[in-house]
Amino acid sequence: MDLSLSETQEEFRKVAADFVKAEVPAHQMTQWYKNKQTFQPQLVKKAGEIGWLGMMLPEQYGGSEVSATDCAVVFEELGRGPVPGPLFTSGILAAQIIFEACAEEQRKILLPPLCKGESIVVPAITDKAAYWGQEAVETRLSKTASGYIMNGTKPFVFDAQAATSFLCAARTEEGKVVFLVIDAQSPGITITPHIGFLVSVAEVRFDKVAVPSSNLLGSSGASWTTLQAALDRALPVLCAYQVGASQEVFDITCEYTRTRVVFGQPIGRFQRVQDHCVDISIYLDQARWATYETLWRLDSGMPARAAVHEAKAIASEGYYQATNYAHMVWAGPGTDYGHPMMAHSVLAHTLYQYLGTPGQHKRLMMDSLFPRA
Amino acid sequence: MDFNVSADPAHVVEFRKEVGAWLAEQFAGHEHLRWSASWSTRENDEEYKFRRGLAEKLGAKGWLFPLYPKKYGGAELTVDHQMVLETELFKYGLNLSHTFYTLARIVAPVLIRWGSEEQKTEFLEPITRAKICVWQVLTEPHGGSDIANCQTKAIRDGNDYIVNGQKVMVGHHLPPDFLWTLVCTNPQGKRHENLAWLHIPASLAGITIQHMNLMMGIKNAVFFDNVRVPAKYLIGGENNGWKVASTHMELEHGGDGRIAVDPLIERVIDYCRKTRIDGKPIIEDPGVRDLIADMMIELNTLRRFNQLIYWRRFAKKPHPYGGPQQRYYQRMMRLRNGERLQAIMGADALVQDLSVHEVVDFEYAVRTGPGQLHGGGTLDTDRLIFARRLGLGRPTTEKAPETD
Ligand SMILES: Cc1cc2nc3c(=O)[nH]c(=O)nc-3n(C[C@H](O)[C@H](O)[C@H](O)COP(=O)(O)OP(=O)(O)OC[C@H]3O[C@@H](n4cnc5c(N)ncnc54)[C@H](O)[C@@H]3O)c2cc1C
Repeated sequence: MDLSLSETQEEFRKVAADFVKAEVPAHQMTQWYKNKQTFQPQLVKKAGEIGWLGMMLPEQYGGSEVSATDCAVVFEELGRGPVPGPLFTSGILAAQIIFEACAEEQRKILLPPLCKGESIVVPAITDKAAYWGQEAVETRLSKTASGYIMNGTKPFVFDAQAATSFLCAARTEEGKVVFLVIDAQSPGITITPHIGFLVSVAEVRFDKVAVPSSNLLGSSGASWTTLQAALDRALPVLCAYQVGASQEVFDITCEYTRTRVVFGQPIGRFQRVQDHCVDISIYLDQARWATYETLWRLDSGMPARAAVHEAKAIASEGYYQATNYAHMVWAGPGTDYGHPMMAHSVLAHTLYQYLGTPGQHKRLMMDSLFPRA
Repeated sequence: MDFNVSADPAHVVEFRKEVGAWLAEQFAGHEHLRWSASWSTRENDEEYKFRRGLAEKLGAKGWLFPLYPKKYGGAELTVDHQMVLETELFKYGLNLSHTFYTLARIVAPVLIRWGSEEQKTEFLEPITRAKICVWQVLTEPHGGSDIANCQTKAIRDGNDYIVNGQKVMVGHHLPPDFLWTLVCTNPQGKRHENLAWLHIPASLAGITIQHMNLMMGIKNAVFFDNVRVPAKYLIGGENNGWKVASTHMELEHGGDGRIAVDPLIERVIDYCRKTRIDGKPIIEDPGVRDLIADMMIELNTLRRFNQLIYWRRFAKKPHPYGGPQQRYYQRMMRLRNGERLQAIMGADALVQDLSVHEVVDFEYAVRTGPGQLHGGGTLDTDRLIFARRLGLGRPTTEKAPETD
């Protein structure tokens, strides 16, 4: 047993920490989130140069072939920013889906530019906010002579505004769910950013968009099972990002309890304030260790499906609750949009249901442990 | 026992008809503004103007404070009449506790309790008739919980106070007529005995107001720079500010009860009936049903707490911990309900829907979760007062300050 990071992992962590310090200082980050300008192209470019996009892929496709844990160590640190933009959506999730779904030829076309940050592929999977699963894929493909016409609306696409292409799930005329990539500049696509208590999310409408058959992933568009295989590797990386973000929330909040003086004493001396921090720490640590145990299972080739769902449920819930309890400590000043807490709060609310709510992942965890007849 | 809030005794049967017809007339053509309530975050001008107008009309009839003497802007009616007004207003999602952006609900009772006869005559009527808008101006940047450690100074100079200092996170997006404020009269004086309460006209020279962009909407920083406030605006007498503050806070903290119901659940059920996955409405999903049941149970509990406080208030039966209990429960419930909304409807719960004029827009309900925990004192303050009122760790229970 050894629950420490390796030397290489410590180095990865340091590079990512330095990146966050230099490229995403808190005052700058707060403004990006406040003004909903979370797509910062320079961050994607630099991430590509460092080798964080497609990190887990084999080198022949532009990746660095690192383990899931190595990759997660980097993303945990990026979560501390929280570094905005499509580093996860394109660099990890889309990369893994393409890798799982495609044969050599398509991989060679799609992955190297993605790994360099020259193309940004943004997944747009479900058509319904209230459910996560293939039943919520309603976008339609109709067959034409040279390919397909696609019609539908993906109501919540994370990082949509950064996309050079979308990786969509859609239904064929036979009702099968397939996956395809679509150039974001194709005629018929409308991207509408949302207004509300969420960030980096837009509605993407596909109105009679023509797609060549060759844009289907794999020989026949792959399947939901392919997506699940990709998610097994991608979700724990997202969890690590949320762990990093929760760690940052915890650290700045604890620091505040030492410096804010009310009733003549640092607020950290009030047991009620201590209790809020204790609660944050529990949400943080349960997410951290569920995530790293899952990563270890993946890297050791053990069955990990249930653990992935467990980690996703815990980490999304954890970041959400960490911000709630932190708000209790910060009180009024933490509700100002000019304060880093607000960036975390809006992001935690946005990630809560991204790729499925905690409740949905709990069910999926049970389904994979105790399959239903 | 009788929980019915609209079992009218004979003397108000006609009154209910009158109020019902009058309200229907006011809302004709404005039905979409039903449920538009008192919070500042929507910053919707149509809603604001309509509600301020309605408040003035209610005020002109003395119906905002039906029990008050006519000379103070009341109607000299009975508690039964008040119940009629509350229940009829509630059909439109409003009730008398709603401040209509005026703060009248709090300011009027405090003036009744602490104002001199002259002050009542001059200040009360514009407030009870909703002609003016008052902001509550207490919090300072160095720490809102300890309001007795007030750094905004008001130094007596002849017949005036010279006010200097800064308050934060107060008011809303529209300008006030008066600032209802706690100040320190003697920085060297004994804690709790060096404070004064001022009802400051917002138009006085030296007052600057700056918007703050908060999670719950627009709030403001208010700067006082050598503001000369005539002493006739001192409420409750020299160095008696802490007592006035205690009455004020008890009213703010839910000590007056309510007989309205939060309309959120209606809209949730509507959403779950209309939203289908794989052809089936999600209201049939067992997980969704559990979540709705949890929301319903907590909303019902809150309604019962509110009704109990309301009843005790008019039956003159003290309920020392009723206010903090209601408030603490309500805030934690709203926080939990925000998450339940996301658990049910995912990101649909995060998108602002400006076609919904109701404050029960889902996005609002989610955002208020963590945002509403601090206004008027934090959760921790609620629990601190709750514990004192239960008498924990002390020989006697703390009494609630006088509010009527
Ligand atoms: C939406 C909103 C609306 C508001 N509206 C108004 C308004 O209209 N008028 C107005 O004057 N103010 C208003 N406020 C300000 C509000 O009253 C303050 O935020 C509140 O009093 C807390 O002060 P603070 O934010 O400075 O927190 P602090 O006092 O700095 O508290 C920080 C932390 O210390 C804890 N703490 C402090 N003292 C104790 C103690 N003795 N025991 C245990 N824990 C303690 C707190 O609970 C909190 O966790 C509003 C705030 C918000 C968020």
